[in-house]
Amino acid sequence: MRVTALALLIALLLGLVGSAPTPTAARDRPIVVALGAEPRSLMAMRIVDWTTNVQQMNIYDRLYYWEGFPPRIKPSLAAELPQTPDDLTWIIKLRPGVKFHNGEPFGAEAVKFTLEWLLDPRNESHYRPRFAFIESIEVVDPLTLRIRTKEPAPILRYWLVDFTVMAPGYVRSVGSLEASRNPVGAGPYKFVRWDRDERLVLEANPAYWNKPPAIKRVEFRFIPDFSARLAALLAGEADIVKDVPPVAVDQVNRSGLAEVRGVASSRINYLALVNFKPGPLQDRRVRQALNYAVNVDEIVATLFRGRATRIPGALSSINENVNPNLKPYPFNPERAVQLIKEAGYDPTKLEFTLDSPSGRYPLDKEASEAIASYLARIGIRVRVVVNEWGTHLDKIINRRTGEMFYLGWGPALEAQGTIAELFRPERTYSGFGTPNLTLEINKAIPIVDLKKRQAAWNRIQVMLYTEAPWIFLWQQHDLYGVNKRVKWEPHPAEKIFLHDAEWTRR
Amino acid sequence: MSDATATMARAAIEPRRARRRLPLNRSGAFGLIVVALVAGAAALAPAITPYGPADSDLIKTLQAPSREHWMGTDQLGRDLFTRILYGARVSLAIGLVTVGVSGVIGLVVGLVSGYLGGPTDIVLMRLVDVQLSFPFILLALVVNAILGIGLQNIILTLIITGWVVYARLVRGEVLALKTLDYVEAARALGAQQMRIVLRHLLPNLWTPVIILSSLQVAQFIVAEAAISFLGFGVQPPMASWGNMLNEGKTYIYNAWWMTTFPGVALVLTALGVNLVGDWLRDTLDPRLGP
Amino acid sequence: MLQFVARRMLEALVVVFLALTVVFALQFLAGDPVKLFLPTDTTQKEIEEFRERLGFNDPWLVQYVRFIRGALRGDFGNSLRQQEPALPLVLQRFPATLSLSGVAMLLALGVAIPVGVISAARRNSWFDHLGIGATVLGQAIPGFWLGLMLIYVFSVWMRVLPTGGRGTWLHFIMPSVTLAAFVAARFARLTRSMMLDVLGQDYIRTARAKGLAPPRVLYKHALKNASLPVVTLLALQLGQLLGGAVITETIFAWPGVGRFLVQALLNRDFPVVLVGVFLTAVLFSALNLAADVAYAWLNPRIRYE
Repeated sequence: MRVTALALLIALLLGLVGSAPTPTAARDRPIVVALGAEPRSLMAMRIVDWTTNVQQMNIYDRLYYWEGFPPRIKPSLAAELPQTPDDLTWIIKLRPGVKFHNGEPFGAEAVKFTLEWLLDPRNESHYRPRFAFIESIEVVDPLTLRIRTKEPAPILRYWLVDFTVMAPGYVRSVGSLEASRNPVGAGPYKFVRWDRDERLVLEANPAYWNKPPAIKRVEFRFIPDFSARLAALLAGEADIVKDVPPVAVDQVNRSGLAEVRGVASSRINYLALVNFKPGPLQDRRVRQALNYAVNVDEIVATLFRGRATRIPGALSSINENVNPNLKPYPFNPERAVQLIKEAGYDPTKLEFTLDSPSGRYPLDKEASEAIASYLARIGIRVRVVVNEWGTHLDKIINRRTGEMFYLGWGPALEAQGTIAELFRPERTYSGFGTPNLTLEINKAIPIVDLKKRQAAWNRIQVMLYTEAPWIFLWQQHDLYGVNKRVKWEPHPAEKIFLHDAEWTRR
Repeated sequence: MSDATATMARAAIEPRRARRRLPLNRSGAFGLIVVALVAGAAALAPAITPYGPADSDLIKTLQAPSREHWMGTDQLGRDLFTRILYGARVSLAIGLVTVGVSGVIGLVVGLVSGYLGGPTDIVLMRLVDVQLSFPFILLALVVNAILGIGLQNIILTLIITGWVVYARLVRGEVLALKTLDYVEAARALGAQQMRIVLRHLLPNLWTPVIILSSLQVAQFIVAEAAISFLGFGVQPPMASWGNMLNEGKTYIYNAWWMTTFPGVALVLTALGVNLVGDWLRDTLDPRLGP
Repeated sequence: MLQFVARRMLEALVVVFLALTVVFALQFLAGDPVKLFLPTDTTQKEIEEFRERLGFNDPWLVQYVRFIRGALRGDFGNSLRQQEPALPLVLQRFPATLSLSGVAMLLALGVAIPVGVISAARRNSWFDHLGIGATVLGQAIPGFWLGLMLIYVFSVWMRVLPTGGRGTWLHFIMPSVTLAAFVAARFARLTRSMMLDVLGQDYIRTARAKGLAPPRVLYKHALKNASLPVVTLLALQLGQLLGGAVITETIFAWPGVGRFLVQALLNRDFPVVLVGVFLTAVLFSALNLAADVAYAWLNPRIRYE
């Protein structure tokens, strides 16, 4: 009896080892990208959500995309950058000979269909407000589209970046629900299978307009817990994992299996100072003082181990429209105290509440606590309230935060998407607005001439710098854990476009 | 209430058998020592450690255990040993408050339900069933999503889930006691309801309730950790073992001390309380064997 | 008997109905979910249109009636996050949870019953002490900690087991062990004390006195009699197990209901939460009912209580 049991146990263990995942046949293996959640939908141009979009772009491709460093707009499904014969007209030439996965031809008709689909309120597309200025969409010829806008809208250039295109014939025949579960696009990878909460499997599209993808199979795997994602990387099960914490970099690099590849992201983190409620934060001097009081450089050096890039204003260093003349507020607690006193307050009597998310951005909660402890050094008491993400967002949207809150914003590679979204009074994501600022922003939005437009944004950035609506923090670094067998470099625009990836020759 | 659920409640305290008298056995003694140590740590924390639980030092983040920091430091450079001492306060507060309040609620509901019977009983026990049809974790998340995170909300959640077990146990006991001759006699003699409850029923209920409580304390302490693990824990910078585990899990692969020490503290405490509970049950249960 | 079953069924229905009502009420306390699902540049007018379309502007009574009517037809509305009908989204995740809970339950019983029986039979032996120690430890170790440690040891360090996800039987090992640990501890303790109870009773003594061999006594007589409460606990623990799967599924990326519901709650996707609670309430009530009926059938006295 015992002998049999023992034999059985040994057999079991052998079987266990024998059938364990083996690294052989590496080339046929899919590349595995571990993400925290499954896509919210696979319908193109419906949802604004990083996780969703990063998966979709591999299936659909996009009209334009960001490439290189510093990032520049490049055509992908489009043939060239859009032409603007006048301030209200946009001509988009499309790439010839492109076909959707089901054989349908790609062209102006498809782009028109996608635009009309997202503008139809019944489809509840998140993109509708962005394109609300469109007056008409016209197919000039099969590969040329003409868009007219109601007012000058230079931002359209940017809204066409990462614009995914759906196959009109397919969507019409199967309907939106089916198309969102079983998508057809023109991208480098074809949809194979979506096992809910498990994986999204894609295979190479040999007919892709560009060279066929080097990696033949792609698997997005959904692992909600962060440490489990990291474990999957360290166990060789996942090839790409985003958001390795700065302190774990050495650990990953030492594993011999994977390494950390980082990039300064276009996503910024900031501590908003809410000026909508009466109180000391309505005084510019107090807001400036808070910027002097926090040693941001030290937080970056210690907490982030250098894996963050400090920003002096509201835009990151790789933003097309950044004003290069701004210098960060120096760390100067004496000046801070002086400013607060000038404003008529006693720093030791000031009390604020700081709302922070937890785990949404790199070290968000920790950074909030560090900021609070710097403010405590000049006597300001800051109560840090840590929220899970749903609560945090709810508080911000409904203006129920404390006087300060921590938030990130991106990908942000031009000015309007950040400044106009954050610093107008009806927007809640920053909690700051002044009539003057609103006026300037509304003047800048329709400026078409690039030089004048830049000048306007530069002015606004200086205004923001002086107004100090935030404690300006940093652009986060995206730290990807990547298996060494994968040739792939991260990009500031937070994309994981696997057409760019290859297996290393080893 | 069904008898199946009554069995479940009985099962929670696993009655009846075991040693006859009340000697303090080895495991019971061990449990008592652990509980005493934890209580001592909680009470004397400021005297034991020179640091504060929220004192961060960004220069000294994630340091391995050393002479200066016995259990190392966390991602904000806070002394882990200090935080574990202060965390004991949270764990004990959670354990004691929740057991106290949910015990009283459950006792009252169980008494009323069991003693009165009839429609009252049916309504109360259906409430119990409704409560039980929410998995505990889910309920905790709902409460915390609505009220926000924080110690008081965790305690509230645990009370909401905790009273049910008591209500069932007490009701079962009352049903059994009601059939006893002297209770029936008292009722037949027309004794006042209140008097019957206070004089005849309540004294017989203390033992099972105390035993159950000792086991519940351990469960509640572990439950707090589970809630914290999902990100609905106590409000930082307050130190609780569950929260420390949650923070440590990000660093599990390069700062082992951040998960190991709070984990050990948690397991040891739960173990200690459980052992005390076992010992209490073995020694106090009036229905000791032949 | 029939009457008893009918009454219990009715009660179960009431419980499910009440549970639904409670969750429905809770979502009103949780604040406005609508804005969370719209992008930042949505105008106030569009938000209002969206609310109107979803019926969020109606009086709560109207919403409640509509909700109950829909629920009766199996229509709980669309998931706010995924814009698909909520019921199938939850239902399709049930098999994963059931298979994991089932395996964990088998594992728990497979370990716990022999341990409980042997511990009782050889009371105060080293095996008994060890067994008791293990069960106390099993009850004290938080599941998530155990899970993370298992992943570290077997996936990252030894690389013999997958870190998570579903696939081969190998994927079952760590999540089911994690899930089973607590339940097994409970069952082992219960089995032991029930066995001790039964072993002390007269008929067992008689059987022993008659010279029946100890193993036969143990397994035929004692275990049979000790099994009733164990069976009862089994049905009820299965419900608990489904709840406990929440954490296990999250750690091991298991595509089950528990993990899905946690994500839904984190995202304030209330239609999904409602479906989840509804289904767990149904399941729990069914198990409870089954346990009661089985109990009544095995033990006729209680029906007349």
